[in-house]
Amino acid sequence: MSLDAKKHERINELFSAYCRGRISRRDFARGAVAIGGLTALQALLTACGPSPAPNAAPTTPPIAAPTTAPNVAPTSAPNAAPTTAAVAPTPVPPGATQLTATQGTSKLAPQNLVYAGGQDAPTIDPSDRTDYSIGALSMQVYDRLFRYEGGWPQPVDPCLCTKYEASPDGKEWTLHLTDKAKFHDGSPVTAEAVQFSINRTLQLQKPQANSLLPIMNAQSVQTPDQYTVKITLTQPYSELPRVLVQGIMNPKLVKDNDGGDNGATWLQNHEAGSGPFTIKSWTVGSAYELEAVPDYWQGWPGGSRLAGFTWKIVRENTSQRIGLISKEFDVADTLSADDLPQVDAQPHLNSAVNYGILTGYTKLNDQKEPTNNADFRHFLAYAFDYEAFKQTVNGYAQILTGVIPQGIPYFDASVGGFKTDLDQAKQFLAKTPWANGGLTLDYVYVTGLSFEKQIGEIWLSQLSKFNINVNLIPKVWPDIVAGCKAPDGAPSMNMIFTGYNVTDQWFFYQWYSPNWDRQTGGDFNTCSFTKDSNFNGLVEKVRATTDETEKKNLYRELQTMIHSQVPDIPIYVQPNILGFSNRVQGYKYFGAISVDFWRLWLDDSKATVKPS
Amino acid sequence: MKLRYYILRRVLLFIPVLIGLSIITFVISHIVPGDPVGLAAGPGATPAQLDTLRRAYGMDKPFPLQYGQYMLNVLHGDVGRSMMSGHSVLDDLRTFFPNTLELVILAMLIALVVGIPLGVVAAVWRDKWPDQLSRIFALGSISVPAFWLAIVLQLVFAMTLNVLPVGGIYDSRSAMPTPHTGFLLVDTLLNGSPAAFGLALQHTILPAITLALGPVAFIVRILRADVLETLNSDWVKMIRANGMPEGVILFKYVLKNSLIATVSVFGFIVGYSLGGSVVIETVFDWPGVGLYAVKSALALDFQPVMGVTLLIGLLFLVVNLATDLTYGVLDPRIRYG
Repeated sequence: MSLDAKKHERINELFSAYCRGRISRRDFARGAVAIGGLTALQALLTACGPSPAPNAAPTTPPIAAPTTAPNVAPTSAPNAAPTTAAVAPTPVPPGATQLTATQGTSKLAPQNLVYAGGQDAPTIDPSDRTDYSIGALSMQVYDRLFRYEGGWPQPVDPCLCTKYEASPDGKEWTLHLTDKAKFHDGSPVTAEAVQFSINRTLQLQKPQANSLLPIMNAQSVQTPDQYTVKITLTQPYSELPRVLVQGIMNPKLVKDNDGGDNGATWLQNHEAGSGPFTIKSWTVGSAYELEAVPDYWQGWPGGSRLAGFTWKIVRENTSQRIGLISKEFDVADTLSADDLPQVDAQPHLNSAVNYGILTGYTKLNDQKEPTNNADFRHFLAYAFDYEAFKQTVNGYAQILTGVIPQGIPYFDASVGGFKTDLDQAKQFLAKTPWANGGLTLDYVYVTGLSFEKQIGEIWLSQLSKFNINVNLIPKVWPDIVAGCKAPDGAPSMNMIFTGYNVTDQWFFYQWYSPNWDRQTGGDFNTCSFTKDSNFNGLVEKVRATTDETEKKNLYRELQTMIHSQVPDIPIYVQPNILGFSNRVQGYKYFGAISVDFWRLWLDDSKATVKPS
Repeated sequence: MKLRYYILRRVLLFIPVLIGLSIITFVISHIVPGDPVGLAAGPGATPAQLDTLRRAYGMDKPFPLQYGQYMLNVLHGDVGRSMMSGHSVLDDLRTFFPNTLELVILAMLIALVVGIPLGVVAAVWRDKWPDQLSRIFALGSISVPAFWLAIVLQLVFAMTLNVLPVGGIYDSRSAMPTPHTGFLLVDTLLNGSPAAFGLALQHTILPAITLALGPVAFIVRILRADVLETLNSDWVKMIRANGMPEGVILFKYVLKNSLIATVSVFGFIVGYSLGGSVVIETVFDWPGVGLYAVKSALALDFQPVMGVTLLIGLLFLVVNLATDLTYGVLDPRIRYG
């Protein structure tokens, strides 16, 4: 037995004896001090020594290396091939989609990756929240019916569901599951697990259920056989595969740990999934360690794979940059544009700047003067200085060229966006009762968000040219959310960031009036309080249709309507700025802030080779 | 006997203070504008979801009833549940508070070890270069914003010298030590792992130094003034005239008699640091109770806010009591009753 093990055993004995009352507190303290004193002395000497090199073997037991060889073909998933065989995004029966193997050929040993995540993940329950951190971690331990991380715009790739069929009215869906998938306890992932997971999400009514509750109820999911799921929607919905994003849970494990709250407390820091990683340790507010499941049923798509990864919470982008440079982190996910020159100057680092879905709108209150006047809204759209804003963020902003971002399916470039044109602005203002200005608009933004304040300052500067004053009002986020409940309490202008993966949700959540014109009011998405029954009808129609041509036409019509009515001023898409150590391989942008760890691996031979 | 009665009386006084504190916090957290339910339910929540959430947190009931129910739950050991994360507030406090306490203890040790000798030195060498140096150090420490100092320390020690980690409580590339008490440094010792203790200590050094600098400045300046006053008192002149060695005069008599004001300030600093180290916790990603409180307050998550307020309030009371009791140790003329 080693000296450390002996010490550990002695401490445990002491602790146990004290807890059972066999020794006094004083005796316990004496014993602990005697053992701990020597240990502390050793430790102090260690601490005063040089810090271990970031990539050196840790001095405490490292995350265990997998026991199987990294590239051994999985025993349970000979046909795994998620990235090569995509399920067609159309709900028209695509026929059987055969999965093919995508095992890497490299003999690189899997290593652990350290990821500096800008956001905490207070839970990993797949039925709970939709924060980017939770989503990024959850999809590593839970398999979903489909994968969406194959690129940008997001494809719908197979995962647990290998093929599906939809009825022409978009109400009846049949999903066929793979028989290869296994939960981490070895039990098969069956239709019953899918039914349990979706029903649990519906029952808990947490944010993860928000896109399902309007179209499903507890009876919606049926299981005709072990690997077939039938879903009958309460309302037709053609984009079902894109909203079935919840992880599929092992029902037995969740029921065994029910705890009276449907396993909610247990699932905050435990998992019941079948994904490529499993939880090693979960330290709330600090770091989350996950380790790979070497024989993951779907295999590993990259040249190698990770042995595991640690999601370390690093909120400040300055700390993220410092950690990247000092090689403490391999990836950092919320760098600022100001950090990029320093990161890119390092021989061992590279960065990725991509534009996804997080979009900034200045929402205009369409129910209150003066922004209820369509000409006034047009005036605002032409008066804003879009290029000036781009310069304030070092050019790292993609000015919207339409009412939704470019990567979103059915984005129609022919609809166009707005550009600064003060003459046009003047013409529109002349049509309003405020042709000579003389009014003040309230502009509300989130306290502490400098880019939102900068947008407000541009409004202030531009509108002053028309004798219009802007009152910049910083508010905390809950206050802004409360202000968006009803038009009466909402300001004229509200800076809101939003984003959705599914096209219809852009229109449904933002401008579909039944979502705010109700007793409980709206939310921050509906803060323009648009009310147009024709528009509502089109939204309902596009959500129901499964006909691709009709969908395309309807989406064009919807974009045209929003562009012509200008309920909000579409400003820009926020960049997702990530910093990487050069040894990180396999990154693929898919529209999200974070990464898909399943696709990554580390290659030390590339440490000083910048990716092209 | 009088001391016991005094302590008992002070402890009983905790109750009305904590009730008052809870009422004020509860009222403030409920009257500030905001929609915590809408925030927790997320965008696109249905009216039924909003109602369910409102009912689950008792927010459909009249305000006094909500407060009564909350306090009843607290008396049964249930401090509530975060509306945002769903976590039990008690569990969160158990997780975050030891981190803060460990950091504060280390920072206060640094403050005492550095502050007391500097204060004495400054007084003994009044207006000489040691005094001037200590004055510059103290003024600098109190003037420098904590977040700026934290970033500078990160840049120097983590990025340039690469000898200390940039933040967090433990090494990202090592497995977290098995928890026993929640106090990481203690747990690493209980695990019998000096290397793990070393790693944990490395992570504590920069935040502890940043947190300690403000208190050091207070201690130096206050102690200097008090030591000077004591050194000029008649009884010191008398024992000096009797030939008592200067070292004994200074450390046995003068220092002890000069510590009362420092102890008062130190008690306040400890209480303040327990809840107010949020800037340091943010920059160093130290998962402490200050950061937890601010995050909860910004989201109007009132149950964690209440939990933190009651905990910090209780600690303030305990620290104040301990400070008052220390007066008696330092100056036997002080009587309790």
